[in-house]
Amino acid sequence: MEKRLIKKDALAGIAKKMAGDFLVWAPVKKEDNILFEPLQKDAEPFFAYLNSKNAPKNVFFPHTETLIKYTRTEKGMVFSEDENKAKDAVLFGVRSCDAHSFALLDMLFDQEKYKDGYYIAKRQKTTVISLACVKPPYASCFCTSVDGEPVSSEGADILLTDIGSDYLVEFVTPKGEKLTKYFGDTKADAASETRKTEIVAKAKDAIKSKIPAHEVKPILDKNFDNPFWATIHGKCLACGTCTYLCPTCHCFDISDEVKGSDGVRLRSWDSCMFPMFTKETSGHNPRTSQKERWRQRTMHKFKYYVDNFNAIACVGCGRCVMSCPVNIDIRKIVEDISKL
Amino acid sequence: MSNNPYIPMPVQIAKIIDEVDTHDIKTFRFAFLNKEDEKNFKYMPGQFAELSIYGKGESPIGIASSPTQQGFVEFTVQRAGTVVPGLVTSALHDMSEGGEIGIRGPMGNSWPIEFLEKKNIVVVGGGFAFTTLRSLINYMLHKDNRSRFGEITVIYGARTPGLLLYKDELAAWETRDDIKSVITVDKGDDNWKGRQGFVPAVCKEVAPSPKNTVAVICGPPIMIKFTLPVFFDLGFSKENILTSLEMRMKCGIGKCGRCNVGSKYVCNDGPVFSLAELEELPRDF
Repeated sequence: MEKRLIKKDALAGIAKKMAGDFLVWAPVKKEDNILFEPLQKDAEPFFAYLNSKNAPKNVFFPHTETLIKYTRTEKGMVFSEDENKAKDAVLFGVRSCDAHSFALLDMLFDQEKYKDGYYIAKRQKTTVISLACVKPPYASCFCTSVDGEPVSSEGADILLTDIGSDYLVEFVTPKGEKLTKYFGDTKADAASETRKTEIVAKAKDAIKSKIPAHEVKPILDKNFDNPFWATIHGKCLACGTCTYLCPTCHCFDISDEVKGSDGVRLRSWDSCMFPMFTKETSGHNPRTSQKERWRQRTMHKFKYYVDNFNAIACVGCGRCVMSCPVNIDIRKIVEDISKL
Repeated sequence: MSNNPYIPMPVQIAKIIDEVDTHDIKTFRFAFLNKEDEKNFKYMPGQFAELSIYGKGESPIGIASSPTQQGFVEFTVQRAGTVVPGLVTSALHDMSEGGEIGIRGPMGNSWPIEFLEKKNIVVVGGGFAFTTLRSLINYMLHKDNRSRFGEITVIYGARTPGLLLYKDELAAWETRDDIKSVITVDKGDDNWKGRQGFVPAVCKEVAPSPKNTVAVICGPPIMIKFTLPVFFDLGFSKENILTSLEMRMKCGIGKCGRCNVGSKYVCNDGPVFSLAELEELPRDF
């Protein structure tokens, strides 16, 4: 694997140079939030961030995306697949937990039987550059409990690790290697790799929040009807913030919008927290209260995804924990389940 | 058709059959506008497709025709929604022959034909939930297929004579000797000369033998609730009772995340399940 060193203050310049050549998504300051946005000319990327407010899943799975465009003509409806707009792009500086989420989303959108071309095209055209968490940013981080690590190349094409005065740059995949020319020509020495090994161990130790994410699977297998499920949702507002910010939540709605003779069919993020999510035309709703919806969300992440893909659909970023307006904490839910 | 599973294939309404005297259930016969789509639309009884109306949306509907019928595909659709009208089904009901819509599919598994082969088949249907059962019956009755199955018994009921679907076919089955057809209504009218009684009671009376027999049952929840015990009493095992589930769906291809029951997606892993399989699933439907 190709490995290089770059000076820490060179990072923003590299991102900006790339932005001259293709679309670069980078963390930028927007009011009080850090968000991944296309890096505009003259804009400064902000790499000294903790983590972004939103998960960067919108790069591959936009909040709203056009599936089809159509026009009413005298000859009937003429429709066109929305032209494949995926451009060469770089997602620059995502945290290891978020890069991990792409590997999880691939399992669903890039299945053998049905391939989701919209997602796959953007994934294929985008190089993911991870910026490892050498100091895990939040007390609510729990990546090490869900098969992640604060310094990890999972889901990344290039991994950047802060080793003091320099970043160690590791080109993890052939896709990543195509961008070597942007990272100078200082080869990484043995000392820098030793330093990284120390940092990896230290960062891992710094994750203090632990949940029994694997241990609850056999318990969930048997406890669909446990009275415990009635204890989570009492204060839930059904606002959907947890699913909106979650790097792995991927449920969507499909809807049509028409103006005059032109229309579009869109897909947009949806949420299992919403009562309408499963409501049928007949009026029947299999999930009648927030209790069933919380059970679904928990089960989907810690049981159903494991059943179907042998992976937990949670990366431990803690966004849902930090942003829930009524302090529902998935870590406590999992902890409580482990004691059932 | 492109490889994009979200893109509907254009079809034209070749024929509309007003099935019931309340005029809210119609069978739509669609002809493919592209010959290639017709060739690619290979389906089996029990599968469904998304009916797609631009500007309105999509609805997952079971395929009512049999793959043995060439040149078209049929769906029997109820105008849905009493308080809020169903967008797609209302728009479709308001269309005329010659109108064009899109379809995406076929989707889901099917009635397990290989499992049904060499066995006696009892088909039990109630009301509007007879559409993919009709597909199965017509498939089995086709001259190329009839010898692959044992005795075929159909028990089908509706609330009133006017609500029975596929009346011409029901009459034609009566005249055949390779299918036993028992049609019943909850309440007859002056012209009704047939049987009166609820489906569970009629099943009890007909009392099909469980020996080498599979029961395929679709109907409203209340019918299913009272029919299953009858079949258990007759000695049918849970592996030999099949049914089809419905859930709210959008994508139909296991991505959008709303039709799951436990780890199973009704769109991909279903809609057909045996009772034994259903008992493994949580009560989330």
